[in-house]
Amino acid sequence: MSRAKRIMKELQAVKDDPEAKITLEFVIESDIHHLKGSFIGPPGTPYENGAFVVDIEVPMEYPFKPPQMKFDTKVYHPNISSVTGAICLDILKNAWSPVITLKSALISLQALLQSPEPNDPQDAEVAQHYLRDRESFNKTAALWTKLYASAAYGDKEVDEAELYGINSDVVEEFESQGFEKSKIIEVLRRLGIKSLDPNDNATINRIIEELLK
Amino acid sequence: MDLGNNEMFLSNDMLHEKQGHNSLIEDNIITSINNSRRGSLVTQDSEFELDDALLTGSDLDYDYEDELDDMIVLPITNAKRKQINEGGVPNLEYECLTTKDIFNRMLERVNHLQPIFSLPLEDIIILMQHYDWNEERLLEKWTDKMDDLLTEIGLIHENGNLTVNERGVALKEDFECGICCEVKSVEVFSLECGHEYCIECYRRYIQGRLHSGNIITCMGCSVALKNEDIDEIMGYESSNKLMYSSIKSFVSKHHRNYKWCPYTDCKCIIHLDDTSSLSEYSRLHYSPFVKCNALHRFCFSCGFEIHAPADCDITNAWIKKARKESENLNWVLSNTKECPKCSVNIEKDGGCNHMVCSSCKYEFCWICEGEWAPHGKSFYQCTLYKNEDGKYNKSSSQEANKLMKKYTFYYRMFNEHEVSAKLDWKLGQTVGIKVKSLQEKIGVSWIEGQFLAESLRTLNEGRTALKWSFAVAFYSDPSHNLTKIFVDNQALLSKAVEDLSELLQIKDPELIMRRKPDFYNKAGYVQNRTNALMECGRDLLCKGICKLTD
Ligand SMILES: [Zn+2]
Ligand SMILES: [Zn+2]
Ligand SMILES: [Zn+2]
Ligand SMILES: [Zn+2]
Ligand SMILES: [Zn+2]
Ligand SMILES: [Zn+2]
Repeated sequence: MSRAKRIMKELQAVKDDPEAKITLEFVIESDIHHLKGSFIGPPGTPYENGAFVVDIEVPMEYPFKPPQMKFDTKVYHPNISSVTGAICLDILKNAWSPVITLKSALISLQALLQSPEPNDPQDAEVAQHYLRDRESFNKTAALWTKLYASAAYGDKEVDEAELYGINSDVVEEFESQGFEKSKIIEVLRRLGIKSLDPNDNATINRIIEELLK
Repeated sequence: MDLGNNEMFLSNDMLHEKQGHNSLIEDNIITSINNSRRGSLVTQDSEFELDDALLTGSDLDYDYEDELDDMIVLPITNAKRKQINEGGVPNLEYECLTTKDIFNRMLERVNHLQPIFSLPLEDIIILMQHYDWNEERLLEKWTDKMDDLLTEIGLIHENGNLTVNERGVALKEDFECGICCEVKSVEVFSLECGHEYCIECYRRYIQGRLHSGNIITCMGCSVALKNEDIDEIMGYESSNKLMYSSIKSFVSKHHRNYKWCPYTDCKCIIHLDDTSSLSEYSRLHYSPFVKCNALHRFCFSCGFEIHAPADCDITNAWIKKARKESENLNWVLSNTKECPKCSVNIEKDGGCNHMVCSSCKYEFCWICEGEWAPHGKSFYQCTLYKNEDGKYNKSSSQEANKLMKKYTFYYRMFNEHEVSAKLDWKLGQTVGIKVKSLQEKIGVSWIEGQFLAESLRTLNEGRTALKWSFAVAFYSDPSHNLTKIFVDNQALLSKAVEDLSELLQIKDPELIMRRKPDFYNKAGYVQNRTNALMECGRDLLCKGICKLTD
């Protein structure tokens, strides 16, 4: 009983604060376990102007147990799985407290977009990209925001290499050697290579070795 | 059967543990073992020893094995074995504790530390809890940054000291709780930080955290709840649950010196302070078996049930292999089998592998489904894996096939003994009833009836050794003479175990009492054979005849 009361109150609190630009609503009106929330990407970050939708499952024991949240919107971020949208954030796990609300959790996610913690990654590939080449990372994250978090860009064709922040010259180089593009991208992602020094023979050999497997 | 599940490697003892601690039978067995170990009280004890001596000296008194002993060579006599035991490895000095025991020791330390901190005991407990009961680490931090530490742990409020609000439960009218959002007249709890929540919410909150072992804080900030707060909210001594779960995490963090008894539902912890001799054990292929207060024996090194004659390496390799191969193997491990003659379904009702069809009376062996007669008369032939050498070209797939076949055989034997052990335990549960009926029907005293429980225990130990001996056999060089002796020893123990298991199935109380000497003889013999098999297995290991190939 008290859980329903609390959730209704939380919904009202979100409605009462339109300034925050946060939405929170039931997926089906009759099911208080399942909600969708959304917030705007923080300004001054690659996520700026994006609208990020989060799937929220509220357990029976709420608010004594944390809600389960994951991104519906694809996000390129070290603490968010680029595949499943799973989130690595302490307040949604062991640091949860019953005083935290769905709204404050969504605000924490917003803050997470603002300041990633690459040392506690959810997506190792993305985290590596973030640590090695911030500029390239920012480009990719901004591209993902454009592609997935903005309605206008819905159906745009996108180059797979660009999507993962891989320098197109590198892909073309290996394509000219007769390797298949999707395979090249798969190997480069696996090895965490975004760009390449043409004189770095050791790395080139490693890539070729992987490509030949 | 899920081979990934450790439980399958647990013996009958563990199975029975699942039935709970309160069974009369179990208590009886424990008492009887206690008595016999102490060597006080009971006459059975001496009778056992007498039988032991008799059997070692001359087996010829017992008709059921007179033809056997000519066929085997006892690798090491009992006297020799003792020497190695005493001379080879130092005795392990360990103690069996509960979480409560360990907590009480921690409390002693807390008392001892109080003058250093000049803080209330409750606060020192929180400090110790925060540092996983590691006194040295706490003292180090304490001298460094006392105030930071107190704030971090929630003993001092960020705004300075903690006397602003009153700590505790108070009744409030029309209180709106920020957690459940109900407005009601209710008891409210708050710490000095002033964050108030209704007591029902606090109860649910604390309930969910008592088993985490971590410090519980105010729902609204990081001020710590002390044990007295928890008790005030949750009821008398509720904080013990938190303390015990904190001790549990202490134990798992100190697993070099502390080991949980692996038996299901057993709460014992074995504490071994000096672990220096463990390497000596493994060098000599002994395993450091320890016994908890509930009389479970397990290996302190690898944490599995007692696994002699196998050493830890063989045990772990065997378990890994079993997990790996489990997908390739597909046996029916049920307790029923069709009679090979008339196809009637027969249920196995004890560990005994000697089956008699209820319909056509055909006697056969549960494991190989062959006729029983050759098994019973000479010795338990089933243990001998018949190598089909020479018939094949040594092509690699055939080689692999052969290996698989070999493994399948040994695994099947291992598994059958495990299943049998479980069934023996079920059988054992009737032992208490039997003892009772002995008391009621023919006036046998309880203590006099304990030979049944003793026999069962011996049977268990024999089965466990037998089970693990198949792991040793699998990794042993089959062409070596000592391996052959080992296999003969397995056969002898198998036979002895089957005989004893069969004896334990007798239900008529008068017949049981009449055959009491048989129980002693057969149990004593099982004990002897178990020891011999263990020593022979260790010999194989020491001489490198049994070794891991990959
Ligand atoms: Zn409440
Ligand atoms: Zn507080
Ligand atoms: Zn135990
Ligand atoms: Zn071991
Ligand atoms: Zn039959
Ligand atoms: Zn057989």
